[in-house]
Amino acid sequence: MADVDGAVKEAVVEALALDDDEVTPDATLMDDLGAESIDLLDILFRIEKSTGVKIEASDLGEYIQGGIPDDEFSDDDEVISATGAAQLHKVMPQTDPADIEGKLKADEVMTLFTVANLVEMVKTRANGAG
Amino acid sequence: MPEPKLKDRVALVTGGSRGIGRSIAEELAADGAAVAVNYRSGEAQAQEVVEAIRTSGGQAAAVGGDVSDYAQAERVIKQTEEQLGGIHIVINNAGISKDALIYNMDPGEWLDVMRVNFGGTFNCTKAALSSFMSQREGAIVNISSVMGERGWTGESNYAASKGAINAFTRCCAVEFARFGIRVNAVLPGFAPTDMVQGLMDKDDGKGISKQIPMKRFATVQEVARTAVFLAGPDSSHMTGALLTVDGGVSAQVGIGKPL
Repeated sequence: MADVDGAVKEAVVEALALDDDEVTPDATLMDDLGAESIDLLDILFRIEKSTGVKIEASDLGEYIQGGIPDDEFSDDDEVISATGAAQLHKVMPQTDPADIEGKLKADEVMTLFTVANLVEMVKTRANGAG
Repeated sequence: MPEPKLKDRVALVTGGSRGIGRSIAEELAADGAAVAVNYRSGEAQAQEVVEAIRTSGGQAAAVGGDVSDYAQAERVIKQTEEQLGGIHIVINNAGISKDALIYNMDPGEWLDVMRVNFGGTFNCTKAALSSFMSQREGAIVNISSVMGERGWTGESNYAASKGAINAFTRCCAVEFARFGIRVNAVLPGFAPTDMVQGLMDKDDGKGISKQIPMKRFATVQEVARTAVFLAGPDSSHMTGALLTVDGGVSAQVGIGKPL
């Protein structure tokens, strides 16, 4: 198994044409590093090539939501519920449920996803879980 | 002797059993590629192409499937990979025409032409993407037409389908470039194939050929060699290009005749 931390960092650096020191573990892929949907696709294919771990773009959302049904993850206005906020804290430990519950829209959760979160996801997948 | 340019490369040619498609399949094989010759209904003709390639020392396989249907297009790609050991080049060539004046055209006829010409191109492109993106290498050549850029009485559905292919070629080029996948198109003018037989019947095609600056039709090999160029390493920095092979037809103004 390749060095996942290094492989993810290299994929992000190359896909986004960034300098090494810009890609820190706590940088969010979309907000801080400016990744768009095609960049995420590129990053995932690069990770697959270097580590052998295949992650579909659609898997990202499923991983973050952890199998919780939409109507439990967020309320009728698609704002994250307490259940949703607890799940987000599980896969993105840097998040504070108090800042998210009742405040963040469901379609904005990816904006919180960091390089370290992606590393963790790849490791989870490499171990056959998640 | 230099190594063949397409050695160790596997190519799929949709609609490869006759016309321009057959010539492309043979020219790809001549440059060293293993070729999957796709056919929808002409199995015997596809086998003939395969045999001709094998007789010349090449590697080929006939792969049946209607690429206008996505599930079948996926199977065609999968069978190509299984039978020839991978996929690196897709030539989206399968096409039909159902010429009619718009006033007389059955509404179903534009959709039939669009489904095969543009749909087949879309389907095979999408079906090959995962392999191309994983290996970070691939070349797609779409066989379009100068009709996609200009108008012609009675060919509105065909021209629209080719115009769609041209726009799609550009978009694919932009989306896929970062994955090492190049996408280009060949735009033939007039070449003597079954598809344009109706134009030839009238006066042996003279009414058209005399309006072409080069005063002759393209041979299928001239179209095929351009497709092979776009599929291979000599065009390694080209993507999103629409190359006309039309003897100057689209370069001239109006009907091109001096007063």
